[in-house]
Amino acid sequence: MTAGTSPMPFSLGYGTNGFTDHPLPIALELLAEQGYGAVALTLGHPHLDPFAEDLDVQLSALRQQLDELRLRVVIETGTRFLLDPRHKHRPALVDEEAGIRLAFLRRAVDIAAGLEAECVSFFSGILPEDTSAETGWQRLTTRVADIVDYARSRNVTVAVEPEPGMLVQTVSDVLRLRTALGNPANLRVTVDIGHCVVVEPAGVRGALLEAGPLLANVQLDDMPKHRHEHLPFGEGAVDLPLALATLAELEYRGVAAVELPRHSHDAPGLAARSMAALRAGWEESLRTRDLERWLQESATAVSADRGSLTRVFAAAGRRLGRGPLRPEADPSGILFGTTSDHARGQLIARLRDILPEEELAETLLALYDGGDSAERRGVLRGLGALAAGSPKLPAAVVAAGLRMTTEALRTNESGLVAAAAGPFAAAHLDQHSWRHAVLKLVFLGISLTAVTDLRERADDELARMAGDFAAERRAAGRPVPDDVHLILASSRTPTSS
Amino acid sequence: MRIFDPHIHMTSRTTNDYEALYASGVRALVEPAFWLGQPRTNVGSFIDYFDSLLGWERFRAAQFGIRHHATIALNPKEANDPRCVPVLEEIPRYLIKEGVVAVGEIGYDSMTPAEDEAFSRQLELAREYSLPAMVHTPHREKLAGTRRTLDVVRESGLAPGMVVVDHLNETNVEMVKDAGAWMGFSIYPDTKMDEQRMVAILRTYGTDRMLVNSAADWGRSDPLKTVSTAQAMLDAGFTADDVDKVLWRNPVEFFGQSGQLILDPIPGFDAAELPDAAAGFEGNSVLRGVRA
Repeated sequence: MTAGTSPMPFSLGYGTNGFTDHPLPIALELLAEQGYGAVALTLGHPHLDPFAEDLDVQLSALRQQLDELRLRVVIETGTRFLLDPRHKHRPALVDEEAGIRLAFLRRAVDIAAGLEAECVSFFSGILPEDTSAETGWQRLTTRVADIVDYARSRNVTVAVEPEPGMLVQTVSDVLRLRTALGNPANLRVTVDIGHCVVVEPAGVRGALLEAGPLLANVQLDDMPKHRHEHLPFGEGAVDLPLALATLAELEYRGVAAVELPRHSHDAPGLAARSMAALRAGWEESLRTRDLERWLQESATAVSADRGSLTRVFAAAGRRLGRGPLRPEADPSGILFGTTSDHARGQLIARLRDILPEEELAETLLALYDGGDSAERRGVLRGLGALAAGSPKLPAAVVAAGLRMTTEALRTNESGLVAAAAGPFAAAHLDQHSWRHAVLKLVFLGISLTAVTDLRERADDELARMAGDFAAERRAAGRPVPDDVHLILASSRTPTSS
Repeated sequence: MRIFDPHIHMTSRTTNDYEALYASGVRALVEPAFWLGQPRTNVGSFIDYFDSLLGWERFRAAQFGIRHHATIALNPKEANDPRCVPVLEEIPRYLIKEGVVAVGEIGYDSMTPAEDEAFSRQLELAREYSLPAMVHTPHREKLAGTRRTLDVVRESGLAPGMVVVDHLNETNVEMVKDAGAWMGFSIYPDTKMDEQRMVAILRTYGTDRMLVNSAADWGRSDPLKTVSTAQAMLDAGFTADDVDKVLWRNPVEFFGQSGQLILDPIPGFDAAELPDAAAGFEGNSVLRGVRA
């Protein structure tokens, strides 16, 4: 409803180091076609040789194509074997000898000036084994001072990228370097959100906030928690919606480009899937923002006037939408509920801090009894949130919760029955009623994904019931739902199926 | 062709009817609260009924790809039983619910003082909750009843554009049109209106503020009368756009004033798959999509 209307304030791009099996002009066309508004151009093989004799001619053709495709550009310098064909990323700024590295970075600044790029991004390098950190910092500081001065003369911004395992590996390291250099205005920060889950103590959000207004360049990718490996979105530990929301909160207006340097073999597919993931992540971040605002407003309103709750609760769907919470896994919204079911549930969880115990129980009952089906699902999801948040709920709340849960389990409405089989039922419903709830889900054709702690609570008696049910279905010549087998597998000593 | 039935009592109908409605292009409807054929004797009977309109019936309709909305009220007939009147105190809490798109059916049955009071009280509620009102006209004494209905509406201060006066025919349509209210017509197998008379009224009075419904219930009635009226309009030379206006856009505009209309397609049902009016209505009888 309200989500999905505002565009991202920054420009999404894609790194050319993820397109090394395509000529640069073709890669740029593909990116524009997929909806990208920027490109992160890595200098060197195979796309743009920074030391080519006809560099000026190449740059003006490139500038023209960027204009035609309306692409913004940032310059990346992380080519692996450009300067030393035998050693990756050598020589580095922290090495004893770094003359060609400096010459290359000056050339990168020239190219950025020629292309009117937003910035040149570079990293510090891995400290050689025999070198102390102190020496490394000394080398780095002197050399970066040189690059910053040169870039200033060409009116170019440079951005240092922290890399796991390098001398500068966190945003605070970059800030330390910047302080040592007297905080030059054209020295700023690149953040790779994947790196953050590996090395940043305060995670993606913390690192982005720390960079704050100094953020000049962003790289987007997923990454596992303990290994520096760039992965497609959804395959690692990065909270993409949170990262995008944080960029928006910082009013970041620059380029945020996908960084998948080991995926050129499927570049067009990944560019498309990354764009889809980024759009979905953005939509989710807007929904989260709307939800948080609604929860805060509602909690404030209810604290001031308890009587406002009925109206606030009823209006959740209009305000936040009624679509499925997890549309891909659950298109009908029955298993995991809808956006408004979730919002109502979260509001109930917050009521625990607003209302005294007795009043909480009465309020839950009043909301349930006076609610339509959607509101009742919301109350049931709220009971789940309360139970999941605290192993010991007040007795009055448990009693009220049991009344509502058993009532919901008596209905034939799939959404209500599914919502009643969550964490509250797992924690508080007696075994007999719980077994019947599970069987009812199977009977109604609702996936047992809706059941919390199925494995923990399944027992021989449930297996017997499921077995009898399967026999009945077979006798009627009807198919046996897969979930019956799941129950039989979940029980400790399964009887015959 | 998409159809919105603005008045149909689905609680009294079967799942076969839901399947037939969907197959014919009905994607949304409004079920006004009314009586059960057998008079109610207590407030609790209303409460369970209202809850089932917003709960089970909405769920049932969704199984067949149809968006179900309701109007809530104490109906005029039962307003005469003092055991039922206290339900008026319970009605406000229903008026803030999702998908409650009007106060109704209200109006007159026998034009008693008790009906007068329930009618004006509920018009006040419509004003207070910014909802349209669905006003039924009496089966007996229709002309006098309509006149008196329009007087009470005028006195209530509710904007005439927020009111539909229902079950009209040739004798009282002009009066309602002149008052600026919406005009509702129930197409029945024998009584009230039929398709051909409806087409003639649309020719004479135009398509603005016109609502056509089946008012199907537990009596002899036909839930597909909206569909056959649409066909009669096409046969008589009305365009597909005229049909869409009367049978979709008009009810959407009228009930949309509540801010509580929910028309996004139901998950599992394809919004685009509507029967082709030119191919006739009987050709497509398959319930499409997955049942949720």
